[in-house]
Parts: sequence; C-alpha cells; structure tokens
Amino acid sequence: MKAVAAGGNAALKGVGAHDGARGFDARRASLSRLWRLKWGLAAAALLLLIVASAALAPWLAPYDPLAVDIQHRLVPPVWMDGGTPKHPLGTDQIGRDLLARMLYGGRVSLIVGVTAVLISATIGVLTGLAAGYFGPRVDWLIMALVNVMLSFPFVLLALAVIAVLGPSLLNMIIVLAVADWPLYVRVIRAETLAICERDFVTAGRALGMSHARIVFRQIFPNLVSVIVVIATLQVARVIILESFLSFLGQGVQPPTPAWGNMLGEGRVYMLNSWWIAAFPGLAIFVTTLAINLMGNGLRDWLDPHMKL
Amino acid sequence: MRRYVARQLVQFVVVIVGISMLAFAILHVIGDPVLLLLPQNAGKAEYERYHKLLGLDKPLYVQYAKFASRALQGDFGKSWYTDTPAFRLVLQRMPPTIYLTLAGLVMALLIALPLGILAALKRHSFVDNLCTMIAVAGQAMPIFWLGIMLIIIFAVRLKALPASGYGTWQHFLMPAFTLGAFLAPLTMRLVRSGVIEIMNMEYIKTARAKGLSERMVVIKHAFRNACIPVITVLGLQFGQLLGGAIVTETVFAWPGVATLAVESIRNQDFPVVQCAVVLLALIIVSINFLVDMIVGLIDPRIRVGA
Amino acid sequence: MGRAAALAIAVLLALGLAAPAGLQAQTKDDTVVYALQSDINTWDPPNSVLREAIILGYNVFDHLAARDTKTGKVGPSLAVSWKALNDTTWEVKLRKGVKFHDGSPFTARDVKASFDRVLDPEKKMVARGNHSKIKSVEVVDESTVHFQTDGPYPLFVERLTALVMQSEKQMKEKGHEWMQEHPVGTGPYKFVKWDKKQEHLLVRNDEYWGAKPAFKYVRVRIIPETATQIAELISGGVDIIKAVPPDQMDVINKSGQARTGTSPILRTAILQLDQAGRGGPNPFTDRRVRQAVNLAVDADAVIKHVLNGLGDRVATAINPMAFGFDPSVKPYKQDIARAKKLLADAGYPNGIDFRFRTGLEVVEPAVLQTDDALAADMVKAGFRPQLNYIGDQTVYTAQVKDGKAGPMFNWSWGYYSIFDADAILYDVFKCGESWSYYCNKDLDELIAAGRSTLDPKKRTEIYAKAQRLLVEDAAYVFKWGLRGVWGISNRINYEAPRDEIDRMWLVTPRKK
Repeated sequence: MKAVAAGGNAALKGVGAHDGARGFDARRASLSRLWRLKWGLAAAALLLLIVASAALAPWLAPYDPLAVDIQHRLVPPVWMDGGTPKHPLGTDQIGRDLLARMLYGGRVSLIVGVTAVLISATIGVLTGLAAGYFGPRVDWLIMALVNVMLSFPFVLLALAVIAVLGPSLLNMIIVLAVADWPLYVRVIRAETLAICERDFVTAGRALGMSHARIVFRQIFPNLVSVIVVIATLQVARVIILESFLSFLGQGVQPPTPAWGNMLGEGRVYMLNSWWIAAFPGLAIFVTTLAINLMGNGLRDWLDPHMKL
Repeated sequence: MRRYVARQLVQFVVVIVGISMLAFAILHVIGDPVLLLLPQNAGKAEYERYHKLLGLDKPLYVQYAKFASRALQGDFGKSWYTDTPAFRLVLQRMPPTIYLTLAGLVMALLIALPLGILAALKRHSFVDNLCTMIAVAGQAMPIFWLGIMLIIIFAVRLKALPASGYGTWQHFLMPAFTLGAFLAPLTMRLVRSGVIEIMNMEYIKTARAKGLSERMVVIKHAFRNACIPVITVLGLQFGQLLGGAIVTETVFAWPGVATLAVESIRNQDFPVVQCAVVLLALIIVSINFLVDMIVGLIDPRIRVGA
Repeated sequence: MGRAAALAIAVLLALGLAAPAGLQAQTKDDTVVYALQSDINTWDPPNSVLREAIILGYNVFDHLAARDTKTGKVGPSLAVSWKALNDTTWEVKLRKGVKFHDGSPFTARDVKASFDRVLDPEKKMVARGNHSKIKSVEVVDESTVHFQTDGPYPLFVERLTALVMQSEKQMKEKGHEWMQEHPVGTGPYKFVKWDKKQEHLLVRNDEYWGAKPAFKYVRVRIIPETATQIAELISGGVDIIKAVPPDQMDVINKSGQARTGTSPILRTAILQLDQAGRGGPNPFTDRRVRQAVNLAVDADAVIKHVLNGLGDRVATAINPMAFGFDPSVKPYKQDIARAKKLLADAGYPNGIDFRFRTGLEVVEPAVLQTDDALAADMVKAGFRPQLNYIGDQTVYTAQVKDGKAGPMFNWSWGYYSIFDADAILYDVFKCGESWSYYCNKDLDELIAAGRSTLDPKKRTEIYAKAQRLLVEDAAYVFKWGLRGVWGISNRINYEAPRDEIDRMWLVTPRKK
C-alpha cells in the first residue's frame, strides 16, 4: 500500500514537463508529440466510431433487437454457408438479428460503464482528497475503510446484493460504482499528500484560504491527468465486470440486449453456433483494447512521466 | 521497524473486524432466513419459534456478538443446503482455489514480466503499445470464452489435456493460464512503471557510467527493484481475483470456494456465504499484511511513510 | 529472468506434488463416468427434493418394486409378489437372502422401519406426502409385510417403486445425520466416497442379488457448465451426460466420439396461471383470458422449430405415457383473432401487462428459448409479458411453493416417476396444494373419485372427464411432454431411460 504511495511521489516530479518549449518550436513539438501518440489517436477514433454506432442504434439497426423469429433461428453470418444478407451477422437462438442486438447492446454496456465510472470516480476522488488533505486521523479512518472494501471479496457482495434487490439496470450501476471507488483513493491520496507539502499550498493556508478553495483550486488541477487516465481504464474494467455479472445471470436481464448477457446466453452455443457469443465478445474485446490504448495515449499526452 | 509492524497489525485487526461486520450486516439485511427455512404451510407459531431459535429476535449488536464469538471458534453454523458445518465445507474447498490463484499469479508473471520490461525499455514506441495490447487481450477477452476455446483446442481437438476437473498438474494448466491472462494487464503496467522508475534512478546511471551493458543493468538492478511494486500489487490483486476465479472455476468444473460461494448465494445458504466471505477476506488481508511486511523490510522509505 | 523462471518451475512442481489425490486407483476400462450439473444435498433419498438424489439413490439402494425399462411395467425387486387382501390392506412378500452393503440381512423389519421413518410427521421427510395414504406397516414374518392404507389406494403398486429400502440397523445405530452422507443399501453399487460438489465414487456390489453391473466403478462428476460437459463427452472424459439442449445434439453426433439418445420422458411442461389468485387478483382468474393466451401461442411451431421436433404436444398436462391419458381430447390451435376477441370481451381491449417467470434449464433444457418464443406469440394477441428469469432451482421452487410465482410461470412435473394421471393432478391441479395455482371444485371431486377406487375402467373414465374439463376451462397454458436427450460415449452401450432414472448397472462396454 505504501509502495504505491511512494510511486506516486515520483510521478509528480514530472508534472511540469509539458509546460515546456514556447514559440515557434511549440508547434513542431506538439505535432511530433501527436505523431507519437498515433496509436492513442487511432484508438480514440475507433472508440468514437463504437460510441457513435451505439448512439445511432435506432437508425442503424435493421431490425428490432427484440423481434423473435423462430423460423430463422441460428442463421450463420452472411459469409458462411447458410448465411443471408438479410442478417449480416446471423441470428441468435430465437431468431433475433445479431447486428441489431450488438448495436443496442453497445448502448447498454457503454452507458452502464460510463455512469458507473463517473459515480465511482467522484466518490473515490473526493475520498482520496479528504484522506490526503485533512490530516492523519481522517487519513487513517479512510484508509481503514478502503482496506476493508478492497479486501472484501467484492464480486460476492455484488452478487448477494443483486440477488436480493433484483437485477435492474440501476442496481447494477450502483453495485459496479461501489466496487471500484477504493481504487482511486490510494493514488489520489498519495498525490494529494505530496502536493500538500509544496509551497503554494502552505502559502495558501497562510493567506487564510478556505479548505475548499485550496483543494479545488490548487490541488485538484494537478490530479486531473491521473484521474482521467485511471477513469478511462476503469470503464474497460467495468464493462468486463458487467459481463461477469451477466454471465452469472445477475446482470442486465434478457431480453434486453447487453454485450455481457449476450455472451452468457451464447456460451452453450460456442461449440456450433459460435457467432452468438463471438460478436459480443469481439465487441467487448475491441472496445476494451481501444480504451486501454486511448488511456495510454492520454497518459502520454497529459503527463508523459506518469506512472501508469 | 517495530512501530511499523505494530501499525500494520492494528490495521489488520481493524480490517478483519470491519469485514466481519460487513458480512454480518449484509446477510441480515438481505432476506428473512426464517421464511426460507420453513416448509410452505408453517403457521405463525412455527415462524415465531424459528425466529427465536435463530436468535433473530435479539437486538442486532447482540446477534453480532454471538456471531463473532462463534466465528472465532470456527463455528459458522450449518449449511442450510446440506446440513454439514459451513466451516468444514468452506475449508474443504479452499485449497483448490488457493492453488489456482497461485498458479494464475505465476502465469500472469510469466506473461507480464517480459512484456512489461520490454515495454519499459522501448517506451512510447510501437512495441510499447503492442505489449499493452497483448497484455490487455487476456483481460478483454471474456474469460469463459478463453477457457472454452482452450478446452476445445487442447482437450477436444488435440486431446493433450483433460477438459476439466482437478487432480494432476495437467488439470492446472488451462485454468491457470486463463486466470493468468486475466491478471496480466495490470501486472504488466506495474512492471513497466516499476522498471521505468528504476531506470531513471541514480544508481542505474552510475552502473551505466561504469560501462555495464544495458542488459546487465536491466537484469541485475532494474529487475530486482521493480519487483517491489509488482509484489505489492500482486498482493492487492488477490482481492480482485475473485471475479475471474468464479468464471474460471465454473468453466473448468474446479471444486473451489468461488463456485461454492456463488452457489450458496443463489441458494440463499447464508451460513456458508458468511463463512466463505470472512475466510476469503481473512486470507486476502493476511496476504496484504505479509506483503507490507516484506516490502517494509526491503525499502525503508515505505516504513517511514509517504 | 532466470530467477523468475526457476521460481515458476519450482512453484508448479510443488503444486503438482501437493495437489491432493483427486485421482482414483481405477482405470478407464473399469469405470463409467456420469456427469451431473449440480451436486445432491444428501444421500438420503426420501429426504431430498432433487431428482439427482433420487437417481443416485437408485444405484445404491433398491425399492420393493421396480419398473422394467423395456416394457415400462412395474415388476418385482425386493418384493417378489403383492396382492390386495381387501380394499385397504395389501400383503407384500419379500425376497429372501438379500444382504445390505454392511452384511446385515434385509428383512421385513427394514421395510417397516423405512416406511415408518418417512411417514413420521416429526421427522419432516420430504417424501412424506407421496406415501401418506399408508396408515401403517406391520411385520407378519421375516419376509411378509402388511400395509394398511387410508381408504383404497390405487397407486400402491406404482408407489412401491418410489421408496428406497434402508437399513433399520443403520437408523438405530448411526442416526439421521450420519445417513445423509453414508448410504447403506442393498443395491448394485456400494458407496465409496463423496467429495462434496466435486465427485462421488461407487464400487460394484459383488454380492448383489440381481444382475451384476458390467463396470466395477461409477464416478459421478459435478460439471456445472453445459459446454464443458459436452467438451468432456467428446474428448472422452465423461461417458454419460443428460439434459443436452436440442441445439447441441449435432455437436455430439458429429464428433465421432459420442452420440445422442432421446426418449420421451414422463416430464410435462406447462405455463401455470394463477387462476386461484394465490398471488392476489390478476387477469388470469378470468377464463376468457386464459383461453385467449392458450389461443395466442403456437406450441406446435415452437416444438418444430425451437426443439427440433423433440416434444410431444399434449392437450393437458397429462403425459401420453401416464395411465388415464385420453388421446381424444384435443389441444388448442393457434388463433390470434379469436384470442384478441376473447381478451376484448374480458375487458382488456388494450391487452395486459404481466410478469412471466421462467428458469430452470437444468430441468427443462431450452426452456428459455421456448418461453421466449411463446412470449413473442403472446405479444401478437395483445399480451405484454415481461420475462423474469430465475436461475436457481431452490429459489424458484421456494417462490412457487409460497404462492409468489404468479401470475404466469413456467413449470414442469416429473410425476415422481409414477406413470399415473393422479400423480400430477393431485399435486399441480388440486385446490390448496402447494404446487397448484388452480382451484376448481368439480376437478377436486374428480380427483378424489379417481383415487378412491381400484377399478381401472372407472378411473379411466374419471380422468377422461378431468382432461376435458381442464381443456375447456383452459386451466393453464399447456406446453408439451418433454423428450429427454442424453449424450452417450461410443465406448458404452446405454439406452435413454423414459423415467429419467440413469441406471448405471445397465451400462455395458461396447465391442469395437
């Protein structure tokens, strides 16, 4: 636990790096930096495409994702034997069009992912700030709580809660948000602690600035890069957690499509009608990869010396 | 050093108590255990009787005290599903999960170490991103997909490994790889950042100045010291592993605690769920404690605090 | 780098050495491997609701009578003959020379002890309701027993196949708790060990009084994932799997390693409607609404397209193989227009929203697909079902028992392997029974009449009337009789059993 904190210190030494060159050289410097970030940019573009297709699902989808058609079950994708251009990605076990379900499923998975991360990031950052800023007593209390949460086999908690409260979309988002907030606290706390020792904070306090001002005007801006990078990576993690819960039957309920539950429904079919699970799996795979690469890019752009 | 150990111990105890409280509270809020125990047409009198029998009429803190004191003796009650002591059931299933987790961690290291070091050396290059991609692939691919693909390839097509089950080292390979692939991304990132940090440190520059080859520098100094953040986070990973372990155990019919816990939640078999949660948490916290001890021993900066 | 590798190898070696013996001394040739999706909760069959416990019980215990797998008729097992002395007394003569696995002899006292134990209200055994018509059991001599029944009990002979004979000695000396984990029976296999939720091991009883099993060992493996079970079957790790989803049959049949076997089974599937209002007022208390939903669904198409033909359409929940089935009663045919009209007549011109519970693929494979398809049909007539999936057997059955499963839920009934209409009518249709959501005085009278005479002709008439009533009143939505699908390894001979009991002692190796 302390090791990561120690690591956090080292990260901040590089904080001023991008206030570098000025004038004519600045443009060349940033262009070459952009080129170095090409992978991140490509990933970001891909992600944009994915998000756009999910958002535009009602216009892009050829069928209603819930439309059952048992006469045309288990139709393979168009390039295979028995496939038809009417269902380019094939149909599932009760004849629903896979392409439509993929597009609509993306909406659910992405919305769940982003919302859960927004909530958990907010909680985590505020808590981390408090731990770092308000002194050893508060710090100890918060860190004890965080350690409890991190040590608690969280998936079990999630399952238990959902098994009882019912698997609604809202419950899932809440459970996923609560799963992840402790992860922010450690890093934020470490960074906050380090910043607090710097002169401009002590000066601020001497000037009589209120706590809130100090925290939000002086400390917080230095944390933005770390937060953004972690949050981005967390979206990927949450999407995968959602697929776990759906695999166990406690995620988004069928017939509403979500990539996770499509995977769960399709897993028996992996031996013959593999496309039912393959495409949502591929979607999760590509999205997660893109998010991670974009996260790398963001990290390199905002603060190339960042630890993660 | 002694103060450090003492502080860690205190935190250890606090965390354990906190978890036991959480486990206790959750399960009592969740449902009415009496309704589940009784046959359908039991009357009100039976309900009251069972209520008393389970001690549910006493105030919550009394119930918690009873729960805690019994738990310390290893008595978590009897499983409502099979009527055997919950503690025995959980303990019996613990070793396979522990072995699987360890094997998974080893696999993760085998994947993450080379990738992380490579990524650190060729920082910000295509190779760096490629290593990220490979490492992330294991996590982004749904675990059961990877698991079933492996089964199809190695057990069905090649007939080289047993498809599922527990027993010989061959039974370990596929599940360990599946779990390890899941752990690899974060581990790789940490190895990478650890190596980067070390590479910039003074004594590395000295070693380079001394004229040691880059490879020697990496292997001897960087690697050894990069282990610290890796060990730390591997310890932390234990707690997060459960999600991956559940799916892996289900796919490979692995007789571990993860699937026991999930089934018990589904069956609303509270004694077993409580016992599994507390024991698992105990293990996780103990490992964190151990890790902090080891790291504190190696690196004095940690002891003194950030 | 070398250090890491060395460490890794050391760990792996240690693991290999430390891995506990899940290995047995048996070889592939003397062991038949059977897969279950979930483990049993006890080895005391009368104390379990789970079908798996009953199936495994068949291999270790015997019953007084047994069903011949080829003819389907009930024949002697531990009892060699029986006759009704009068309307309420039966005399049963027992087989001589049978021994329990612990060496003690099987006598009439064990029969009495087994029945008394189940019937004892204090013990709250699960199977008690099945045998409650038996008032008392008397030992006449070492191999003769008299049963006193509470009024005429036409199912007596069928039910002789439904209770395992356990050892009085074990009950007295070892007690109830010990018996949950240590079965001692007279059956073709002996219990060796039980690794909870992992596997069971049985060994052949070489002193068995009947046909000796071909395979020395039976290994029962618990494998929760269907895909894994199928992979194990086609890679040779398992010999028999059950509840194969119809969509996966081609994987098995094309593998060259295994094949599928199907059989109509006693189990029938229905969508229960809360006509009795157990969960409170709901639209299905109105007959017109129930008829409408029956007219909305096209069950024949679902059987054809979703189950690939593996289902037998029935007019009511009475299975074609059960005594009392009347083939002249015809099921509903889809008629969307009439359905819409009936709904409007009942006061719902804009349709109805309601919850449709489904789950339990372990009992009825492909149930999710069939229910999805049926729900889509219902939508065409103006119904708006919200599918609510519950994956766990215990939770689902608990909700059904408590009256909370309505207003529509999927259900199937295995008749407890009694091939008689009464075995489903009483439990699933009689007013007030825990599994029944239907209440109709006329039907109750018919049920009572059917069980109070021993005359098969009279009973057939009574049950024919009952079936007509059920169809006219559209008691539930009637689906079909299920067909079980088994996956069987090509190295053994085995026939799919119509009563869903997997008899391991009948498995023989296939000659190459």
